[in-house]
Order: sequence, then structure tokens, then C-alpha cells
Amino acid sequence: MDSQQILGIFAAAANDPLGYARAWKDRTGRPVIGSFPMNFPGELAHAAGTLPMILQESPDPITVGHGLLFPFYCGYTRSMVDQAARGDFDVLDAIMFGDHCVQLLGAADAIRVQLTQTRVIFFQLISSMCDPWTQGRSEESFAALRAELEDLLGAPVPDAALHDSIRLFNRNRVLIRKLYDMRKTGKAPLRAAEMQHVVKSSMIMDKAEHTALLEQLVAFHEQAAPQAQPGMRLHLSGHFCQAPKPEILSMIEDCGAIIVGDDLYHGFRYISTDVPEIGDPIAGLARWYLDRNTGVPCPTRVQNNVDWDAYLLDAIAEERADGMIVLMAKFCEPHMYYYPEVKEAFEARGVPHLLIETEHESMALEGLKTRVETFVEIIRRRAAAA
Amino acid sequence: MNISVPHDKRANKLKSTRIAGKLVNDYWQMVWRAKEEGKLICWYEGSAINPFLEAADICWVHGEAYSAMLAARHQEVKAQQAAEERGYMKELCSYARTHLGCAVSNQRTRNDTDTGIAFGPEDDDLSAKLPPPDMIISAYAYCSTGQQWDEMTSRVFGKKIPIFNVSLPWIWGAKKDAGYLRGQEWEETSRYVERQLYDMVKFIEERTGKPYPWDRLRAMMADIRRASELRLEAMELCTNTPAPASFFDWVVSIAPINNLPVDGVVQYFETVLAEVKARVAAGEGAVPTEKYRLFFDGIMNWNKVGWLAEKFARYDANVVAGRYTHMAFWQEPSLINPQDPVLGMAQNYLICPNNHASPILIDLIMGLCEKFKVDGMVIHASRTCRAFTNPQFLIADAAHKRLGLQTSMFEGDVTDESFYKDELLNSRVEAMFEAIDSRRLLV
Ligand code: SF4
Ligand code: SF4
Repeated sequence: MDSQQILGIFAAAANDPLGYARAWKDRTGRPVIGSFPMNFPGELAHAAGTLPMILQESPDPITVGHGLLFPFYCGYTRSMVDQAARGDFDVLDAIMFGDHCVQLLGAADAIRVQLTQTRVIFFQLISSMCDPWTQGRSEESFAALRAELEDLLGAPVPDAALHDSIRLFNRNRVLIRKLYDMRKTGKAPLRAAEMQHVVKSSMIMDKAEHTALLEQLVAFHEQAAPQAQPGMRLHLSGHFCQAPKPEILSMIEDCGAIIVGDDLYHGFRYISTDVPEIGDPIAGLARWYLDRNTGVPCPTRVQNNVDWDAYLLDAIAEERADGMIVLMAKFCEPHMYYYPEVKEAFEARGVPHLLIETEHESMALEGLKTRVETFVEIIRRRAAAA
Repeated sequence: MNISVPHDKRANKLKSTRIAGKLVNDYWQMVWRAKEEGKLICWYEGSAINPFLEAADICWVHGEAYSAMLAARHQEVKAQQAAEERGYMKELCSYARTHLGCAVSNQRTRNDTDTGIAFGPEDDDLSAKLPPPDMIISAYAYCSTGQQWDEMTSRVFGKKIPIFNVSLPWIWGAKKDAGYLRGQEWEETSRYVERQLYDMVKFIEERTGKPYPWDRLRAMMADIRRASELRLEAMELCTNTPAPASFFDWVVSIAPINNLPVDGVVQYFETVLAEVKARVAAGEGAVPTEKYRLFFDGIMNWNKVGWLAEKFARYDANVVAGRYTHMAFWQEPSLINPQDPVLGMAQNYLICPNNHASPILIDLIMGLCEKFKVDGMVIHASRTCRAFTNPQFLIADAAHKRLGLQTSMFEGDVTDESFYKDELLNSRVEAMFEAIDSRRLLV
């Protein structure tokens, strides 16, 4: 298979996650478990013999969901509730929530009411990341989740199976990180939407199938010669639970930018950190949860000894990026809280950045394009003057 | 809109709650003086951890209370502007924005003073008057925004101030044994929070450099338990018709039970209870004519408390109970054992009016609606407090389906007046009253 065919398979799963799940279920006869972003350990559900998939915002306009969540909620939560109310989640045998953002909690409540036939499981991960008990409490949460899964499926989730799943998921992450590295050097000049399809499909597809395809894709790029990429090098930041619309990503690139790095959840954030492969697997998952936040700090957590702004400045230096575009999902409170820190740090360091607020509903791309063009032009002039 | 609204009908507010105004004033005066008096200052929001602090002679600054006080005095705008200047967007919780604005002003003033620029806060600028913290404790049930607000406060102060986080998990209540104050999840969560509170006390000891005065805490919790019982007894009397006090009286009485110095609180609620009893005996209601009895769902519009009280009075509507007032603030005194108070305190923190998932929460609300014999429910959809708006469609649905209640939703906010839409409130509330009237005719 050539790289375009592989990317095509990834794009197909990314564009129709529930369709992929239905086909998988028909093929395997095994359960599908949906989860919410951003810290759900898919390894556990995988080790239980199910297909874990991270539920995705749908591009459809909100309809019945209007009667369940107010319009001043982020597009992700509104879309989740809408999909549940429309019956789109019928393929799911269970939904597992594990997070903390107050809007997700509202969505969890509304979804449970809608899905009377689906087991809706909730466990709340501790979001205060550097307390002496964070590791222990995270272990308790993951152990509770494992017990819920065992109860749901009527079978134990053995340590050996969990170790296997951890190894497989790690391999998958390693391969995607290789693509990220090769993107920086120009060996894998993937467009931003293609990179999103790679990551997003990894949240959806059978991990073994996805990993096998990734092996081929990575091998293909490893053999390729680096290509010179014209354009201003940019980092994309933010946009937590929902994937930025591919048309926005393409618009940014069409304005003369190349995306050389990101910390999007549908991007580097998702694959940044591996789970320890030896030792107690539940302790390993808890370790992974803590390490993720020091690796790529997340504004939905609180951790006084890590700084997202400092991480971003380092990432940009390492990627040799000329600037950053912040994509903020409208009404995303965690992002709104941390944005002033990022803005101040970037201004202090003189690194250009542009904030774009995105909406679930269609956006006026033309107006945005003018702003991005101006931004890219400013960076170009600065670079020329330097 | 064909209901004529006479303007001579005034809310018959409890007289005794005027004392709360003085107590609130005294409290903030004490806070403003605290630095000069050499006291340690702790900023916190959410759960009422203030007795832990007061017992240790630490001056406590409750962020929501400060924001609410600014809004009630219509002095919130300066603080909100300061927050906005730093980039905090308007869609963020306005309690947090207002309080963070105070932190920003405080830092700015201090930095400006440090650099020798002669610029101090005006005396009447309350946003800059709040003394900076020596410590921060975050103990916010349910709402991630609360925890992030504390983290941001710490960051505004350059992360130089020690911060302690207490995690209060949401009660999801899906297990077979789950219910209000019962089940394995409840027991485990209570113990988890209790453990953290003991660690919080160690953090306090590290700050004060003294052993923690447990005896003082025990005595305070005995008083709080008593005050809470008195408050609940007075509220209970509002099942009478006409109800002697309204939701708005209980709103005014939040500060005494929630964040004012413990000394004086029992007396406050004794006075309130006595007045409520006297009104019941005299058949006196909280509105001149009680034609409709309503339940108020949602957090308070702090810049609109008196104004809303008057508005409903003009409609002959007595707002007799509410989620905010009747499901929070040391709501379960029987859980507090004054001899060994920490577990009961943890449990009271866990039953804030949002921290149970909707099945349990809605049962509680429906129970209140029945108990207080309400005809309708007015729902305040507070734009920036999503913790309160999260279950509101489900609550409205349950009110219709289970109790046949009329509901009416209006948009507003905790402390940002610009989200408030008066016309919408009028027309929706009037429609609700018309529906209640037609239903009565049918019956
Ligand atoms: S973190 Fe942001 S995007 Fe995710 S659910 Fe919360 S508000 Fe929505
Ligand atoms: S959003 Fe509501 S519950 Fe959350 S911190 Fe603000 S006022 Fe409190």
C-alpha cells in the first residue's frame, strides 16, 4: 500500500468514526466502548477485548441537543449530547467518562439520561497533579475503571493482556512521534489535516490494524529524502477535546504557512507519552497520566510546577517555528484561563502568535483568512528584517 | 404580556436579615485591616473551609463572597476590567473574573509601588483593597472552574504563594446502593476527602508554625451545627402559607452561615427564626399577596438580589425555596459531630448543590418543590456558571413530567450584569403565571 492509500484509510475512519465502529463490531462481534477525552486509558478497554474509541465531535449542526445543553457550551460537549439524543451512539456498548472539565460533567449527565440502554460509567480522575496522593488516587481510579469493565463484560482483565495492550499502544505512539520528528525535518511533509487524520484515526481504529498501517507509513517516509518546504513555520496550539476543522487547517497552510508542530489533543498531546511497560500495569497507567502533564502541560489540570507557556516556547524553539497560532474552541474555560499566561510569555519573548476562536457552527473562513494572511506576512517581514 | 404589574407591592423582607449587612461589613473591615494587624491571610473559594482557618487565627478571604459583595454594591466593574485587561475573557466565570481582577489590581499596584511610581489604589476602589494572600487553599466541589481559578490566582501572584489543593470528587451515583448520603461511593468519597482535610490541617500548621488548635475548631463546629439547625428550622417554616420568608431572605443569609466569623452566627439565626415564627403566628407573608409559590433554580444574580425580590413581589409571587439556598451551606448539620468534626465537614463539602449527578440532584429538588408546595419553577440560566446550568434542562423536564410544574428560564449571571435580559425575564415569567392561572381554572 502506498502512503496516500494509508492516509486515505486513516481519513475515512477519522471522518466516520461511528461507521468504522459499526463495521468493526459486525466483523468481530465484540463490544465497542466510547470514551471522552482527554485522559482515558484506552489500553484498559483494549485489554478487555473491546474497541476503545474516543468519541468525536460531529460536523453536523446541533439539533435536538439544543434542548439539553445551553448554547454557551463548547462545541464538543454540545455535539456529544446531540449525537446521544439523536441515537447515533447506538453502536456503543458503554461510555466511559473520566474527566473533570465542568462542561464535560454536564454532558455526562445529559448523555446518561438519553442512553437508557447503554452503560454510562464515570470515574473522576484527580486533576490536581502534584499532590503526594495524585499517583495513588489515579491508581484507585484506574483500578475502579478496570473493575467496572470486568463487571460490564463478565470477565477479568488480566495483567498479561493489559501489558500486551500497553506495548501495542506505546508502539503506536512511538510511530506517530516518528512522523512528528520527520515532519520537522521535512522527511514527512504531511499537511496538517493529514496529520490530524493519522492521530484521530488512532483514537478510533483497532490499534493493531492502525499500528500495522503506521509501520508502513513511517517506513515509507524514512526512506524519503527531506523536502525543502517553503513557507513560514508555525506551531498550532490548543483546541482540546475537539479536532480543529480540516478546512481551517488547510486555510492556514494556504496562507503560506507550514505546520511543523502542535500540542493539539488531536495531535502531539495525544501521543506524547508512553506507559511504563514493566511493573504493575495500573501503577503504570497512573504514571503515564502524571507524566503526560509534565510532558505536554494541559490547562484542564492544575500543576503549579509546570508551565504550559514555557513548554510552548521550548517546543517552538525546538521546531524552529517562526510563530504560533492558538486555536481556541469557543467557550472552553480551561483554555481561557491559561491563555493570558501564554500571551504574556509570548509577548515577553517577542514570539508572534495569533489567537483564533473556533465555533462548532460554520465559521466565516474568509474573514479568518485575512487575519492569518496578515499574521504570516508580519512574520515574514520580521524574518526578513532579522 | 398582559399582566398588569402594580408598583406599590413591595417585598416584605425579613427585618432581622439587616443584621447580616452589618456582619458582612464588619467581616470585610476585618479583612482589610488584617495585614496591618500582622495576620496571615488565606484566599479560598468554594467549600466553607473558613472554620479551619478561623480556628488557627488565619484571616480568610472567600473569593465568591468578595465578588458577590462587589456586585451587590455595584462596584464589580473595575475588578472585571482589570481581569479583562490581562486577557481573561468575558465567557469565564464572572465570580472568578471579578476576584482575579482583584488579584491583578493588587499585583499591579504593588509592582507600581515597587518601581517607585506614585500610584496607589483609591480608597474607595474595593477591587484593589483586598490584601494579598499568604496561602491559597483550593477546595472546590464539582466545578473545574473553581480549581482553575485558584491555580490562576497563584499564578497571578507569581506562584510564590503556597497553595494546597483538596480534590472533591463528583458523586456519580450509578451503583445499586447509591443514593443521597448513602452507598459505597458516598462512604469512600467522604473518607477520601476527610484524609485530604487532615493533610490540609498539616499545611495550615506549616504556615502558622503552631500546633493546630483542634479544641477551637470543635467549639466552632458546635456553633455552626447549631446555626445550621436554626436556619433549616426557619426555612422549614416557609412551608406555611403564606410563606413568612422568601428565597431572597435566605440569599441574604448565606454569608452568615457560609463565610462570616463563627462568633455571632447562632445569635443571627436565633433572631431570624424568632422573626419567622412571629410571622407564621401572625399569618404574615414575604410578599403582600401570595398568589404564586415558586422554586428558584440556579445561582444568584448578585447585582439583582433586591431588585428580583421586588419584581416577584409585584407579581404576587413568593419565591419560597431554591437550589442555591436550600441545598447548600452546612446543609446537613446532623453529619457534623462537634467532638470529631472533620468527616462531617468533608461530607457537607461534598453535598454542594451541584456535586451529585442529576438523578440524585433532581430527586432532591423535586422533593423540595413538593414540600414547599410550589406552583412553578423559575430557572436562572447563569451564563458564566456552567456548574449551575449543567443539569437545568433535565431539572425543568423533571418538574414538568413528575410534578406538572410550569417552568420559566431567564438568562443572567452571577456578577456580570451585561448578561442579564430583563425583557426576557418579564415575558417568560408572565407566560408562566398565565399558564399557572389557566391550569388552576381547569382544576
Ligand atoms: S476542556 Fe474545553 S473543549 Fe474540552 S470539554 Fe472542556 S470546555 Fe470543552
Ligand atoms: S462557574 Fe459557578 S461553580 Fe464554578 S467557580 Fe464559577 S461560580 Fe463557582
